[in-house]
Amino acid sequence: MPSEIVDPPSSAVPPMQRLGYGALADRRDEAVRLDGGTELEWEALFESVARHGPGVLPEWRAVASRISRERGLAYRSASVEEGGGSEGWSLDPIPWIISATRWEQVETGLRQRLALYDAMLKDVYGARTLLRERIVPAEIVLGHPGYLRALCELPPGGPVMGLGMSAFDLAKDSSGSPFVVNDRFDCPFGLGQALENRTVVNQVLPRLFRRCGVQRIGQFFIDWFDFLQRRAPEASELPLVAILDPSGEQDDSEMGFLANYCGILRVHPSDLTVREGRVWIKALRGLVPVDVLWKTMPGKDLDSLESESRGQPGVAGIFESMRTGGVAVASYPGTALLQSPGFYPYLEALCRHYLGEDLHIPPVATWWCGEDPALVYVLENLPSMVVKSVGEHRAFETQYGRRLSQEGLAALRERILSNPRGFVGQEELTITTVPTSRSDLLVPRGAVLRAFGFFDDDNGGRILPGGLARVSTAEGVVISTRETGESKDVWVCSGIDLEPFSISSVVERSLPSPPDIIPSRAGENLYWVGRYAERAQVTARFAARILDGRSRGFSRDAEFEAAHEECLLRGLFEVFECPAELEKVVDADARLNLVLSESGCPAGLVWHLQALRFASNVTRESWSPASVRAIEASLGCWERALASGEGPFSYAIHLEELQLNLAAFLGLNLDSMTRDEGWALLDAGRRLERATLICGLLRFLLLSEEGGDRLTLLNESVLSILDSVRTYQRRYHDAPATVKTLLLVIGDPDYPRSLSQIFARLGEVLAKLPPPAHHAPPAERLGPLVAKLDRFVETLDLNLAWPQSRNREAAAFLETARDDLAALSDHLTISYFSHAFEA
Amino acid sequence: MSVEECRYRLRHLTAYRYSGRTDVCHSLAHLRPRESAGQELLSHRVDISPRPRFEADRKDYFKNDTLYFEILGSHDLLEVVSTATLIRTEPAEAPPLPATAPWDDAGCRGLAREIDEDGFYLANFLLPSRACPDHPAIAAFLAPSLVPGRDRMELACEIMERIFEEFTYLPGVTDTSTSIATVLKTRQGVCQDFAHLMIAALRHLGIPVRYVSGYLETIPPPGKKKLQGADASHAWVEVWSAETGWIPFDPTNKLRPSVRHIKVAHGRDYFDVQPLKGLFVGTGRQKLVVEVDVERI
Repeated sequence: MPSEIVDPPSSAVPPMQRLGYGALADRRDEAVRLDGGTELEWEALFESVARHGPGVLPEWRAVASRISRERGLAYRSASVEEGGGSEGWSLDPIPWIISATRWEQVETGLRQRLALYDAMLKDVYGARTLLRERIVPAEIVLGHPGYLRALCELPPGGPVMGLGMSAFDLAKDSSGSPFVVNDRFDCPFGLGQALENRTVVNQVLPRLFRRCGVQRIGQFFIDWFDFLQRRAPEASELPLVAILDPSGEQDDSEMGFLANYCGILRVHPSDLTVREGRVWIKALRGLVPVDVLWKTMPGKDLDSLESESRGQPGVAGIFESMRTGGVAVASYPGTALLQSPGFYPYLEALCRHYLGEDLHIPPVATWWCGEDPALVYVLENLPSMVVKSVGEHRAFETQYGRRLSQEGLAALRERILSNPRGFVGQEELTITTVPTSRSDLLVPRGAVLRAFGFFDDDNGGRILPGGLARVSTAEGVVISTRETGESKDVWVCSGIDLEPFSISSVVERSLPSPPDIIPSRAGENLYWVGRYAERAQVTARFAARILDGRSRGFSRDAEFEAAHEECLLRGLFEVFECPAELEKVVDADARLNLVLSESGCPAGLVWHLQALRFASNVTRESWSPASVRAIEASLGCWERALASGEGPFSYAIHLEELQLNLAAFLGLNLDSMTRDEGWALLDAGRRLERATLICGLLRFLLLSEEGGDRLTLLNESVLSILDSVRTYQRRYHDAPATVKTLLLVIGDPDYPRSLSQIFARLGEVLAKLPPPAHHAPPAERLGPLVAKLDRFVETLDLNLAWPQSRNREAAAFLETARDDLAALSDHLTISYFSHAFEA
Repeated sequence: MSVEECRYRLRHLTAYRYSGRTDVCHSLAHLRPRESAGQELLSHRVDISPRPRFEADRKDYFKNDTLYFEILGSHDLLEVVSTATLIRTEPAEAPPLPATAPWDDAGCRGLAREIDEDGFYLANFLLPSRACPDHPAIAAFLAPSLVPGRDRMELACEIMERIFEEFTYLPGVTDTSTSIATVLKTRQGVCQDFAHLMIAALRHLGIPVRYVSGYLETIPPPGKKKLQGADASHAWVEVWSAETGWIPFDPTNKLRPSVRHIKVAHGRDYFDVQPLKGLFVGTGRQKLVVEVDVERI
């Protein structure tokens, strides 16, 4: 890292001028006074840049991006809020600097705004005085898709939380006065990113940071968690607070970062279940009650039973749990309504109505088209208007009149006229600029500041000192949160050198570490990783055996070969219990493709690998880096094989690679994972799947009705698919025969891959699982199955004759064994994953 | 004016049979008939099997009775039986419709901020809702009926008649996810679709209208015995007029509802008053069976 020089400069020319920085024509700049001089709080920054000389800005950027990378962070505004995918936001290490005195005004204004919106929230879901006294037109409230009628009998207040974490987008126009351009209450993004930006920039510019006396943000998070804990419905000594984050699969979501940083448990909606008025985390050790949920998903999706949206992940019954007081949810799920710009024209009046005060920070000038005079005004001034939907901001892309052609304006006009009450027009602000690094220069760029705060009924509004600045990448005036841009840290500078104060150290002192809970969803997916990996292995060996026959040949007779291939294919589809899928296809090559490359075939390799990918992604936190590489290699090598377009015959080598990688993945997991319950489930999944596949395969062998050479070859293939050819040869020095195959693969007490050994291991692994709350321990379920197996093995005697009737008997035994294993799997699901009671 | 009075016994069975195992089920039901001047509820009960672990009654936003219940335990069949006895009274002949302001009268526009006799803002019943969005095809459908200066109730009657005449009642072609646009295109559907269509059409003109769910007593053909379970869940609409408040219309049967219509709940559309909604955790698919008996006693 370059040393950072912050000594005063010697030159008489102020550093800002030496750097060639100045405001754009007709634009205010945050760092430049009206007389052209430098604003006091920015002086240290310009001095530092000037003192370091050319090259320092690119260097700082490089350092910042290296630190981010090392911290495993791709900058993503995982924008649930904006309804978009994750977009890259790069970090400009040059902060937006605000003096403490100016910030005080902003803070006062935002505290008032929190109080105002909190009162409004209580009113719209309670007495609705704003409608009765005709302060706001009824359509703005009752026509909004975020108005949750399901919650109207449950207004915020008392134990029901109101505004939770809220965000306000602030901009200044050319007069220098601040405006709010957006209010976000439902699931605002950016808090984690603000925290992360602070951490990175603090490391890039530590001395400047101290010299400016930047106000610390750690206390804000402590107050927030303290607030959440105080809202726990029952007086429990250690209330359980969890972040409810639907993006659970992505490690790099900002909520994941926030959760890790602050030591708070993060759960996915499917980790939760509502029972008898409370919300519980489904954990391997049983159901654990949650007291407080900080939701980072849209409130209208929160309760999948009562919500109006379809297909979103949610928690069925959670509203009922809120009604019975079993859980506190922050924010109140109906806050999306308050984000409507339809309230802006009435905000002054609302502020007087609720608080008896004038509004400190006005919203951007707004006209609701549902009122005739406003509609006329908006249509007359359309070229200079910003047009937004009053409903969900996701439903309609904000339109900027200035950017539209004549045709575009005409279309917009039609759109507004078709449903005037659905739209507002807003004045377009010429927002102020802030110094931003561009290669080796500081240049002025338009910026919007996203401030964060929450409303505490006992202590009033709390505002994070700082926030997240978003900068337009081009010289354009407008910033849309949907556009990719840059983010900045925001420094509130007291000018006094402050003690270093890291959030993590403070958090350690005041917050407990997250409880040691393994959610069932993680456990279930580990279990399925084991099962799918085993399925993929066996399918790969089936495929390899078939390709082997095609390339090398098992005899000289083409008809014999074709019949054997046909037999193996039938075997594979029988094992996966979907013979009808095979019947749909006639051509031999097409049938082989079902196994090798078709994604929709439940007996196909691609199917198993896709399932494996999904389950392993969900459980990513469990894997060591080497395991991650092994699984990526497994999935990757087969994707490459298919993409190469070389066709089935070249697949043999790729199949070998796939098998090696899968074996490496499973082996690494057994070695590197701690032998906890998660590991036990992974191993149980493997054993149970392998036992199931063996039963299916041997059953197929017994019922195949092949004879003579064909039966010998089928036996050899079965042994090959079970990777047992070598052991067989060492044991029997003989051509493969059914009874011997059975003896080895089912009953051999010294062969680790025999069914009886797999059962023994399965029993050991199941014994490691915690006893389920409402059910028999799963190991007990295995007992009868082991006894049946032992009795069957006793009947296998090489010295006795093996008439055809014995085949049917043995097949029937394997059939019951397979059913018993499926029942055991259901039992694991009920006991540990779905936590159902026995009926 | 003579009054018709009828006593009914009502039985509404909903059964879900699962092909796999279902472990947990959270449900919400709107099954208790609303009480009103013309409908006196003598008794009502809901029997659920398997027995729920948790039940809670409440009134929803529109003051309908709502039942929430949880079933926690593996089951392959869920049965919900709602039984009621009630008395319906209505004038033997539907009273004449009030004379109202014409549909194109500008006074219509302020209605959203007015309240109905129960204290509900008419905006609730005027603005698009999930099942009744404002679709361009609605305007096209309405066009032939929009004679300038026409009385609003007269217009409502005509829309009802046109739905009855221009659309085919055909069970099985639509489900709860079928959009109005599709129904307008295919010209077929069931009572729910026709109610939604009438709602969307009248709301488009600024006339408040709400969705009603309930039952209709069926009369067997002469000489035939009534089949068990032959009656059905039904849906119709209520249109608001400043003069008399809410007036019911049944577009599926082109008639003004009588004692044979038993109302359970009302809301903006089907999704506000879905008789039974459940979310299941488990494996496999579900098969739904519904039986309704409306019997005179």
